[in-house]
Amino acid sequence: MKKIAKTKLVELWRQLASETGLYLPIASDGVVNFARWQEGAEVDLEALNTLLPAKKFFFPQTETVLKYSFSDDLVLEDCAGKAGEALCLFGARPCEVASFSMLDRVFLGEPVDEAYRRRRELTTVIALGCNDPDETCFCGSFDIDPGKAPGADVLATDTGDELVLVAQSAKGEELLSLLNGVLEEATSGDENKVKDAQEKAKAKLPPAPPAGGLMEKLDGMFEDSYWDLLYQRCIACGTCTYICPTCHCFDIQEYPTGSRGERIRCWDSCMYADFTQMAGGHNPRPTQKERVRQRFMHKLNYFPRQHGEYACVGCGRCVRKCPVNLDILEVIKDLGGAV
Amino acid sequence: MMGQSEKLQKIAAEALEQGQVTMVLGWCKKDFWWQAPVAFITDPASAARLVWDPFTVYNPVKYLLDNHHCHEKIGVFVKGCDSRAVNRLLQDRRLEREKVVLFGVPCDGKTDAAKIKAAFPGRKISAVSRVDEKLLVDTDSGTETLPAAGYLLDKCQTCRHPNPVVYDVLAWEKVEPRPGVDDARFVRVAAVEQKELEERYAYWLRQFDRCLRCFACRNVCAACNCRTCIFDQAEPRWIGKASDLADTLNYQIIRAFHVAGRCFECGECERVCPADIPLQELNRKLIKDINEYFGEYEAGLDPNDKPPLGTYRGEDPAGFDES
Repeated sequence: MKKIAKTKLVELWRQLASETGLYLPIASDGVVNFARWQEGAEVDLEALNTLLPAKKFFFPQTETVLKYSFSDDLVLEDCAGKAGEALCLFGARPCEVASFSMLDRVFLGEPVDEAYRRRRELTTVIALGCNDPDETCFCGSFDIDPGKAPGADVLATDTGDELVLVAQSAKGEELLSLLNGVLEEATSGDENKVKDAQEKAKAKLPPAPPAGGLMEKLDGMFEDSYWDLLYQRCIACGTCTYICPTCHCFDIQEYPTGSRGERIRCWDSCMYADFTQMAGGHNPRPTQKERVRQRFMHKLNYFPRQHGEYACVGCGRCVRKCPVNLDILEVIKDLGGAV
Repeated sequence: MMGQSEKLQKIAAEALEQGQVTMVLGWCKKDFWWQAPVAFITDPASAARLVWDPFTVYNPVKYLLDNHHCHEKIGVFVKGCDSRAVNRLLQDRRLEREKVVLFGVPCDGKTDAAKIKAAFPGRKISAVSRVDEKLLVDTDSGTETLPAAGYLLDKCQTCRHPNPVVYDVLAWEKVEPRPGVDDARFVRVAAVEQKELEERYAYWLRQFDRCLRCFACRNVCAACNCRTCIFDQAEPRWIGKASDLADTLNYQIIRAFHVAGRCFECGECERVCPADIPLQELNRKLIKDINEYFGEYEAGLDPNDKPPLGTYRGEDPAGFDES
């Protein structure tokens, strides 16, 4: 267990950045996103959630998976097999870290997605426990503890004037050992402070609506009239899917230029009409009703049926950002029962 | 005395009971104090869900496009800005006037939830209500009073038409536009105009680099009402699906130009943008330019007028340089 005074964090970042690519929540024009650290960066460790979730580090919004050229011979370049760089992700919140294990189930299940696997393995995650959850946070619905992040390599906890860092994996141990010069040894008093901060954060979390039983309930609700009313105000934008840490649908597109080209993979959204548009003109999800139903059924029924856990971590991004306040918290409350 | 929410509820319930309309679009509350999404009311008893509060900013008019085919007549509550959206749809022949009953709601400006949150850092807010020019904010450590004028949405600080410009019934008496709105209208545009060219370009690249391509700005906009948007076409595809800055600029520039002369300044695009891109600066810059080149024009005031970019007049500034 190590610690560092918050006033000395710049030294920590400088040291980290000299070892590896360092990404942190950084404010630009008032919007906080994970971005590469450089001297003078406006790091914001108070912001609860970045605009875009950290999934982008393993599953970028756009990535080239293949390059090809053909003259006499067809030449292929496998970009997925070379994807990624060693990097450290500093300040991922516990809900965000919980989303990584869900994405792992999708991309690391057979067949393994090589680009994802490489990026995931090349990344060291330093989580930052939450001290003051927002009114829109509902990680408690999914038994995520706002102060703990078991899937992270290192857990950082803000104990007031200091950050206490605990390694939780061999990768985390290795990273902290590189930083011996800037870190101090933590004491048992610090350990107590961490426990205290974690308990306080949990107590501050708004009462979470229970998600248990939702999956079973939704089994019989595909044709339910509930969806007829729910979808009405959806404006069919892609906000909820793009800012969601667990949404992972993608499209493959070809970018040909003359005798060369690239095949890219990019985020797609089930909110868009063309998501299920077939070549012959048929669309199995013809209206926004089917699309909205799909999104919630995927998160609360299909995914847990297939993988054993709900595909939501209660980060609250969709609650805060949906232009018409149509979010998964509403569905959980409507169908799962009140707090 | 009947409260403002009750007045809206009564108007909606009566219109539904009398069979004047079969659906009413208004605003309702949800889980949090800052939410007031559009409600779709089809039975008189549910009219009790309707509210009028500091956050009923959402423009309900675009929903008419999804619903007018399934209803004989729809009642819709319209603020000044919303009413201009109705004129926009009428002018584009996307809506028939006899299909809607317009319940006009004179509006004294809506509150910016972000400004309220910023005023009480670290405190939990449970409700915000408005009494004349005061905001009453219920927090976990008591009720605080704020001057409403200081916490308005940017678009409301510059609103020239707080009263509906088209309506069948008015919910209450008309209000006066706020003093100084004309001076404030182009302040943000002027701030961008003052930047040097390179700095301005860097500024917009930074803003658009955050664009997620979620298309919320387009989808919420009543001036964007094409049956099929070119950006949704698969063949030909006008912008690539990859998140590429050049394509994002292409989308954003075309969006802005397409609503030039049609944007009625409701500011919904800027409100819904998840990435906080200052879209109103672009829209207003085009309004300012149109005013300068073609004469003062405000969209959505009269469905029978001739929009400057949809009309040719002999005295228009030359469109093509023949030198």
